[in-house]
Amino acid sequence: MSVAQPFLDMQQVVYAYGGGRSIVDGITWPLATGDFHCLVGRSGCGKTTLLKLAAGLLAPQSGSIRQSDGTPVSPGPQLGYMFQAPTLLSWQRVIDNVLLPVSLQRRPMAADVARAQDLLAMLGLTDHARHYPRQLSGGQQSRVALARALILEPALLLLDEPFAALDAITRGELQDDLVRLCRLRGTTVLFVTHDISEAVYLGDRVGVMHEGRMLADIRVELPTPRTQSLRHGTTFNQYCSRIFETMTGAGQ
Amino acid sequence: MRSVLHSRGLSLALFLALLVVWEFIVRQAEISALVLPTPSAVGRALWSTLSSGYLWPHIEATLTEMLLGLALGGIAGLAMGVALAESALLDRVLKPYVIVSQVVPKLALAPLFVLWFGFGILPTVVMTALICFFPLMENTLTSLRQVDANRLQLFRMLGASRLQTLLRLKLPAGLPGILAGWRVALVLALVGAVVGEFIGASKGLGAVIIAAQGMMDTPLMFAALAAIAVIGLLCYQAMLVVERRLLRPYGEH
Repeated sequence: MSVAQPFLDMQQVVYAYGGGRSIVDGITWPLATGDFHCLVGRSGCGKTTLLKLAAGLLAPQSGSIRQSDGTPVSPGPQLGYMFQAPTLLSWQRVIDNVLLPVSLQRRPMAADVARAQDLLAMLGLTDHARHYPRQLSGGQQSRVALARALILEPALLLLDEPFAALDAITRGELQDDLVRLCRLRGTTVLFVTHDISEAVYLGDRVGVMHEGRMLADIRVELPTPRTQSLRHGTTFNQYCSRIFETMTGAGQ
Repeated sequence: MRSVLHSRGLSLALFLALLVVWEFIVRQAEISALVLPTPSAVGRALWSTLSSGYLWPHIEATLTEMLLGLALGGIAGLAMGVALAESALLDRVLKPYVIVSQVVPKLALAPLFVLWFGFGILPTVVMTALICFFPLMENTLTSLRQVDANRLQLFRMLGASRLQTLLRLKLPAGLPGILAGWRVALVLALVGAVVGEFIGASKGLGAVIIAAQGMMDTPLMFAALAAIAVIGLLCYQAMLVVERRLLRPYGEH
């Protein structure tokens, strides 16, 4: 039996801004199809840069990043991307914001609009479709951004600390929404965060990054679907402290 | 809504009060109508020139020059702003010329334009267009450059073409700034049209002012000034209405 081909294969990836110190320094990390990968590390450890490399927004100076068919990654509608800020277009209605990835490719059809309505319904935003982003709360804006990232049903979803600015309860709700929608479609996810418990709660695998290097790739064997009460269990906290020790141990 | 009406009412009351004070001072001090006519004399001059049909062709000429100049100069400025914002090469090559062309006072060019384009409305339109060019170019350039980096990255991620990024992101995001440029250009266009008529025109409110000066008809001069003020006010208000409509999706701006 052969090992399944990784969905996105990062091999010995190196990247430095403007010829300085390598911000990503020889990372090898194959992402398995359908898995939820979390990348955790302190601010400035290079995790956002690695995400941009995985998106094809940056090209590695050495090493390779290949998709399962062997081609290098490039930005485009096959990828879903979610930023730290919701980054909505303030002059367009919620529904048009969700449909933006479609309307940049072609004129949205009735099926696209129906899909957008479905996504908004699943995220509890049915009544807000005709509103403008400024009329929504921060959590609702993040949900719109999530719907926009998922509208083209991308095989790979990349998220850069998307919930960092939200309060704990809203963040928990969005985490559950995200996992539910991704499991439903079998989406492969790369989720960057600095929050260890968020990484453990969401991830099938947690990569721990420090100063451009991958310190550990930990498989989280917690039952799915996970609920927020899981956070109080001992296994959960053992994972968290293991990652915490990996991160702090490297600093000394 | 009520407080708006209230402040409008106060504005109007202040205007009427100023007219009364003006009338009173001129009558008391017995100032000659050649120096400063009373508002009632100005009103009579305005009424007679409007009802006799004397002033209308001049109003039409000034409005035509102003709007043509505004449209031509504004569209050219908008296009240049887009070109300079999109191409760093064009920006480096053309910017010095653009700036030099703008620091030369265009009113000083009016005699030259008369020489080139004759005494019709053309020299005034050209000058007005040149005046309107700069605010549109500057505001467009600045607005397009200020687009949020995250939104630009979003469009890159979504595989948007350069044209799509311009039309779907940069221009809509810059719309408030671009409209502010149009508002400034509108006011400058009226000044440009009137001053252009001072120098080389037989028609238009600027020409009326010069003619009134020659005939020592100060009330007529004031009547023309009043007409210019009303044109400016109405156009500015119309612009505000358009702006408010276009910016409604943008919320409180």
